[in-house]
Amino acid sequence: MLARVIQSKTIHWLGRQLSNQDNPESWLDPVLARINPMWVQAYTPARVEQVIQETADTRTFVLRPARRWTGFRAGQHVNICTEIDGVRRNRTFSLSSSPLLWESQGLVTLTIKRLPGGLVTNWLHDQVEPGQVIGLGEAFGEFLIPEPAQPVLFITGGSGITPVVSQLETMAAQDYPAPVTLLYFVRTHRDVIAGEKLRALASRHSTLRVQVIATNESEEPRFFRGEDLDEIADLKSREVYLCGPKGLMDLAGELLHQRGVTDDRIHSTFFAPPAPAQLEGAGLGGQVTFAKSDVQVGSEGDANLLEIAEAAGLKPQYGCRMGICHQCSCRKTSGTVINRLTGQVSGAGEENVQLCISVPRGPVSVDV
Amino acid sequence: MKKLNETQLQELEQDLNAIRDEVLADLGERDARYIRRIIRLHRTLEIGGRVMMPFGFIPPVFVAATASLGVAKILENMEIGHNVMHGQYNWMNDPNLHSQTYEWDTVCTADSWRRTHNYEHHTYTNVIGKDRDYGYAVLRLSDEDEWKPWHSLQFINYILLSVLFQWGVGLHELESEKLRRREIRWRDKLPFLRDFARKGGRQAFKDYVFFPLLTLPVAPIVLAGNIGANLIRNLWSSTVIFCGHFTQDAETFSEAECEGESTGHWYLRQLTGSSNFTGGRWLHILSGHLSYQIEHHVFPDLPAHRYPEISEKVQAVCRKHGIPYNTGSFAKQYGTVLNRIFRYSLPDRVRTRLEGGSAPQAI
Repeated sequence: MLARVIQSKTIHWLGRQLSNQDNPESWLDPVLARINPMWVQAYTPARVEQVIQETADTRTFVLRPARRWTGFRAGQHVNICTEIDGVRRNRTFSLSSSPLLWESQGLVTLTIKRLPGGLVTNWLHDQVEPGQVIGLGEAFGEFLIPEPAQPVLFITGGSGITPVVSQLETMAAQDYPAPVTLLYFVRTHRDVIAGEKLRALASRHSTLRVQVIATNESEEPRFFRGEDLDEIADLKSREVYLCGPKGLMDLAGELLHQRGVTDDRIHSTFFAPPAPAQLEGAGLGGQVTFAKSDVQVGSEGDANLLEIAEAAGLKPQYGCRMGICHQCSCRKTSGTVINRLTGQVSGAGEENVQLCISVPRGPVSVDV
Repeated sequence: MKKLNETQLQELEQDLNAIRDEVLADLGERDARYIRRIIRLHRTLEIGGRVMMPFGFIPPVFVAATASLGVAKILENMEIGHNVMHGQYNWMNDPNLHSQTYEWDTVCTADSWRRTHNYEHHTYTNVIGKDRDYGYAVLRLSDEDEWKPWHSLQFINYILLSVLFQWGVGLHELESEKLRRREIRWRDKLPFLRDFARKGGRQAFKDYVFFPLLTLPVAPIVLAGNIGANLIRNLWSSTVIFCGHFTQDAETFSEAECEGESTGHWYLRQLTGSSNFTGGRWLHILSGHLSYQIEHHVFPDLPAHRYPEISEKVQAVCRKHGIPYNTGSFAKQYGTVLNRIFRYSLPDRVRTRLEGGSAPQAI
């Protein structure tokens, strides 16, 4: 509410003068958090309403965000923000519920798998109980249902199903007029997330076909193979959505290309830290100047700017450390960096870069 | 300065690093809770002060409002702003507590402060000619500075500096002494002056225009109270800061002896160039724990509320290496500061006679 009021330009200017903060709406947060954590303004607070055990290592968190949250479209993600042992952690998760649930009941769900050694996912599983409040950012992402409707093929693996559940529910609710196929790879049938919901959707929605494939139940692992695609007669006219572990996504890309599906029809989203793109070893690294801190260090290999800064004793802001949340975005004033995810080479001029996925190639200067 | 050879300096560095690493490994919930509690107290005092101020026509309310706002400013500048800007809480990853983006409730811009204080003062601590904080280019506090007749009036300068402290700190980076000596040109200082005008204007607007106008019928009372609150903060900050490096036994250094120094030597200089004062818990909090100036200078980026805990260990390291650890009561330490300001205002001839003609002071 306070955030809304402060959106007015004059009030925002005045707030900045009085609070000496660029985000004056959060000036009183430490006090508000004490009185009612749902009043915090720096992010959208969301109260945990319910925690549902989906599988042995996956839980769905039903959240009620403060009403000022601006909603989302099926297939999008959010950053959640939470404090663990005094340190604020930001992580990106897919919304697994349909936007209709938000519109009708003010609820959203995140379905989160416990990652071995993962700080935030383990904390969510072990510490979060109904009644607690976590922070939510605005939804983002381009992993969206095609408009107007076209035939769709979803290929998902493991917890990569979560944004797709949101999409399937949304499609079912609007009686999506084109055929939809879901290939869902799981290790065993015990690892199926939202199994009941998928069955219900398939029986309600006549154009939806759901195929769950367990990879590790037989003696020989049963991985994704060409025949799975060959069963889809109109494969070339499908919009294909990939969400799953890197291995599955690479394999799917290859099999699709072999069958003449072009890249402009393939949409993918990561749900786990992506393995870095294969970067050419030569020419990587270089002298990095952190201008604001007056620090210069050399770097070698594919170390990213965030790692280089931290190794030099600096503590720039950061979030997901996987190129998603832009918490670590800052100004590069000169030099060339390579995007660790895409392998894309930047221009040499001034631009914003994400420290956590930018690998210097030659001397680089950034405002840190 | 106590002389240590390079091996001893290396050992000193290791001993102090061990203390530092132990604290770094332990940072967490407790530190976050502490700084947030101080922030809550600051917000409460500031709002309390602002709300009470218009009722300042009742004398006790005026006193309470002014004190409340004054203490709020002290907490924000000393325990929150100064420490946050040192990066003491960067590990929390809270965008509002990040050293690079924090802006504080005083005239000096955070950017200027980070340059002149975090970098210059903390790197070249007490090196005469390089640490412009030593006497703030206004006061003569060591015999490495040649006596000039105008120094005889420096006690007046000191009082003026204390009263107008936030403006003095704000203008510190102007390097007026270099402008006077024509070593730099006004033109070079234009970007600085622009930032200074913007921040100074913002602070003046807030305390001396906006809040008085907001409660127009009692504007003079609000204006007086806000001036009073700023004055309280100015006098207190100045006093605390002067106790940090200008006490009798705080040492000064020449550029020559610090050239190409090792980390161990830097540590030694921080230990011998700084001075603490003792007192109760609230005296420490209100000083932003600069009452532990020695610990602060050795570990400027450790959360300041940890200094009391590590002080024992730092003292043990000092004892081990035979390094003096300069501390005393607030009154005693401040007394020696006033004494130093007075003594160095005198021509060397008079001063040495006053000091009993003894051998040159070990300063």
